[in-house]
Amino acid sequence: MANLKHMFKKTAALFGDREDEDQKGQNPSVPAGLWMKCPKCGELIYKEDVKNHAYVCPKCEGYFRIKTKTRIRMVADPGSFQEWFADLDGGNPLDYPGYEEKIKELREKTKIREAVTIGECTVDGTRVVLGVCDARFLMGSMGYVVGERVTRAFEKATELGLPVVIFCSSGGARMQEGIISLMQMAKTSAAIRRHSDAGLFYLPVLTDPTTGGVTASFAMLGDIILAEPGALIGFAGPRVIAQTIGQKLPEGFQRAEFLVEKGIIDGIVERKDLKQTIARLVALHSKELSYTSYPRTRARFLEENEMEQLPEEQQEDVPSGEKTKKKAHKEKKFLTAWERVEISRSAARPTSLDYIGQVFDTFGELHGDRAFRDDGAVVGGIGTLNGQPVTVIGQQKGKSVKENIHRNFGMASPEGYRKALRLMKQAEKFGRPIINFVDTPGAACGIGAEERGQGEAIARNLMEMSALKVPVLSIFIGEGGSGGALGLAVANEVWMMENATYSILSPEGFASILWKDGKKAKEASEIMKITAEDLKRLHIVEWVIPEEEPADEENLPEIAACMRKEMDRFLEEKSSVSGEEMAAARYDRFRVF
Amino acid sequence: MFRKILIANRGEIAVRIIRACRELGIKTVAVYSEADREALHTQLADEAVCIGPAAAAQSYLNMESILSACIATKADAIHPGFGFLSENSRFVELCEKCNITFIGPSAAMIDKMGNKSEARKTMMEAGVPVVPGTKEAVYDARRGKELAEQIGYPVMIKASSGGGGKGMRVSESPEDFEENFKVAQLESVRGFADNTMYIEKYVQDPRHIEFQIIADKFGNVVQLGERDCSIQRHHQKVIEESPSVALTPELREEMGAAAVRAAKAVGYESAGTIEFLLDKNKNFYFMEMNTRIQVEHPVTEMVSGVDLIKEMISIAQGNPLSVKQEEIHLQGHAIECRINAEDPEHNFRPCPGVIRQVHLPGGKGVRIDTAVYSGYEIPPYYDSMIAKVIVHGRDRSEAVDKMRSTLGELIIDGVTTNVDFQYEILNNEDFQSGDITTDFIPKHFA
Repeated sequence: MANLKHMFKKTAALFGDREDEDQKGQNPSVPAGLWMKCPKCGELIYKEDVKNHAYVCPKCEGYFRIKTKTRIRMVADPGSFQEWFADLDGGNPLDYPGYEEKIKELREKTKIREAVTIGECTVDGTRVVLGVCDARFLMGSMGYVVGERVTRAFEKATELGLPVVIFCSSGGARMQEGIISLMQMAKTSAAIRRHSDAGLFYLPVLTDPTTGGVTASFAMLGDIILAEPGALIGFAGPRVIAQTIGQKLPEGFQRAEFLVEKGIIDGIVERKDLKQTIARLVALHSKELSYTSYPRTRARFLEENEMEQLPEEQQEDVPSGEKTKKKAHKEKKFLTAWERVEISRSAARPTSLDYIGQVFDTFGELHGDRAFRDDGAVVGGIGTLNGQPVTVIGQQKGKSVKENIHRNFGMASPEGYRKALRLMKQAEKFGRPIINFVDTPGAACGIGAEERGQGEAIARNLMEMSALKVPVLSIFIGEGGSGGALGLAVANEVWMMENATYSILSPEGFASILWKDGKKAKEASEIMKITAEDLKRLHIVEWVIPEEEPADEENLPEIAACMRKEMDRFLEEKSSVSGEEMAAARYDRFRVF
Repeated sequence: MFRKILIANRGEIAVRIIRACRELGIKTVAVYSEADREALHTQLADEAVCIGPAAAAQSYLNMESILSACIATKADAIHPGFGFLSENSRFVELCEKCNITFIGPSAAMIDKMGNKSEARKTMMEAGVPVVPGTKEAVYDARRGKELAEQIGYPVMIKASSGGGGKGMRVSESPEDFEENFKVAQLESVRGFADNTMYIEKYVQDPRHIEFQIIADKFGNVVQLGERDCSIQRHHQKVIEESPSVALTPELREEMGAAAVRAAKAVGYESAGTIEFLLDKNKNFYFMEMNTRIQVEHPVTEMVSGVDLIKEMISIAQGNPLSVKQEEIHLQGHAIECRINAEDPEHNFRPCPGVIRQVHLPGGKGVRIDTAVYSGYEIPPYYDSMIAKVIVHGRDRSEAVDKMRSTLGELIIDGVTTNVDFQYEILNNEDFQSGDITTDFIPKHFA
């Protein structure tokens, strides 16, 4: 290889050195603050990029902790934030040396008066009480002032009937205030209880880090709890845990994603979607959107979306239940019960999420039972139908082996039923109708499920669902396996797809128990009365959703349209029924059997 | 006067810029990736700084490293060459913040011309003809189709941020519109994270005619004639020449004036190129403006006698243009052939490797801009262009003959090149008679 190193004459050798014509002060230099090092990935990044990217590292997508002012700017409509209780000051209850000076110093440095800032603002035009914790102020720890401000925020929000959004970030209790700090946990939690009892919405957003006494009080008491990606969330800090148990903690332990997986929080919200998400959630929890206002909500929705009701002649094309049914009776080939069992189990059959996607205008999933785990076999969240928020829950089967492992083949665990119940209770609080999609071979069967009380979980759902003061509708879309299905089916109306089944147990199980021969499932299916038609006759279901052809990807839109139309009827009808009447009707519905 | 210039590029253009600096007595700093340690530009510059690993994203596109190198070596200015950071407005802004002169236009101008919808709007306002099409951005196929009907098929679907054929599709009829729109948009989203599209008339059998302009801080703009770059393969230019046989003196005057108007409309500064499409009826339409020095700039240098790189440096130092429009007298005919280390027999796949031996031709009116030398190893990470052969003759016929003779003398031994492919073009009758359009290569070499 040729080497040209040092072969060429230098410019100075050819033309002389011009170094002398010095232009002082003209040397290139990097102005201070142009670049910064990302604390997460260590890469050099431009401060401006970070600023323009919602304080997220453009290289590793790591989240930076942000100042109160920045957070308010990120969420509140420009100029709308009005601070409350700014003058509220605390003392030095333990006479801790240097505490007052420290506070004074921090106030000057951070330009905020305490670790939480409270105020009122609008988010996309909707009034909200906003709280922002700031980790720069003694790690956002909760002393008297923080606790008092948060408490007053809830009290005033209750008085004004406003939702509360708090960005949590805290190391926990404020050591310098000792036992007084501990009392803040009880005080804030109690204020949230009153706010909640008034039917008002509270949304904490957990940011890095949310630990200690704040986690064990106001951070975890939201109707919906969201967290920023990668945020550290926990009661005990990871270092303390590692030292106590003498073990290395697993990767991702106590991070936001870990908490979603463990069912503790509802989901993750990225900063780019933050304002929009808050605005949407607050709007969905408006008091005006209770199920009793459905006709008004629908009228407003149709007007806003300029979707006039279709004129009469065009309605011919819309598959209405009755019409399709008539036509179906004429042309359809007879199916045996066993054939329907096979269809109900078919992999080609649409799943709950398929129907949810087609039936509802929007759907946002919420996760977790707040206790043990987010069960993949149950999906739930808030959907909208003609502008009406509806809590939607479904048993979810997978479409691939991999997905089925996550979904446990649609067999819900205790935490799945508990998640469903949590979401149904939430629906009741906000007057939201509940629509459940049932599709399960049965409740999960296993050691873990029993350890966590599978029977208890189902039983509690039956009891609690019977008393819900909002309309409940359950739709059987595939398999309706026993108690596992009933755990989502104590409803005011139960609908069933023509090829769905609902039974005390599987035909295989029936044959094996009564005839000691599981292979006689086919015969069993014929005498068990498990088809939609049979169950209609037994008044187990109110309506059979016709399937001209077995439901699949292709005819899904048609079936969904049919469901939607009937749901509209259901919601309209129930809008004039009081909550107590609704619960009583449900009681009577099951009392007859 | 700059004392030292950092060249944020590699290959022959870096060498070209270093040479201009040397002539001006300005010291040079080369930056190089780990793969370019032995490269000519690394060796020829007075100083050289390694800025990162072979991958361009970590070296020649790594703004932090390049700015650090500039500060460490106390260079006053950066010449970006073409490609890499040459049209990156963010980089220009950062240079400014670090008190470094960027030899080229301002960030605002780059942004203005880089956004095709806005560039088009600016040109229409300046009275420069543009291809009939949508004035506004289109985001979905349905709306696009409506506009296509208005404009009339065939139409060109173009990504606002696209380039080099990416995010670009021709739709012949309503039947294939939707598919083409979606593909183009997807390419744009994937390549440029932008779903902004626009639809325009597809100009059939066009020539690619571009005008070189230079402009100073004082609002003076001079055009240095056109280049005919119709010989292209997949939107990559293969042969460029000046003047174009398609232009009459009147048309040249008219298009040149439009180019000057275009540059003035954006208050342009530095060297730049206004690209036009010229249809068979001699209608011309503004396509885009390139806010940088271009690969084919030597063609213009040969006919105009202006050293474009030196001019850029001088403009960046705040000097007025060294020439006036009336002093420009284009002489003779120049042709450039791009020599690439690629294999025309195998779909032009790149052929990196070690060059065993090089012989570069010479003689009157022959210029070779290259960064290869005997024993040089062409790294696989970058563009495959390894040399530009430029000839200058009294007229086109002499220039074509001179190019054929010159290519016959060019030896680059060790790697496969497209020299034979260039020959075939030069020997083609249509090429020789000047009957060329942008369809020339697909038509003759499909």
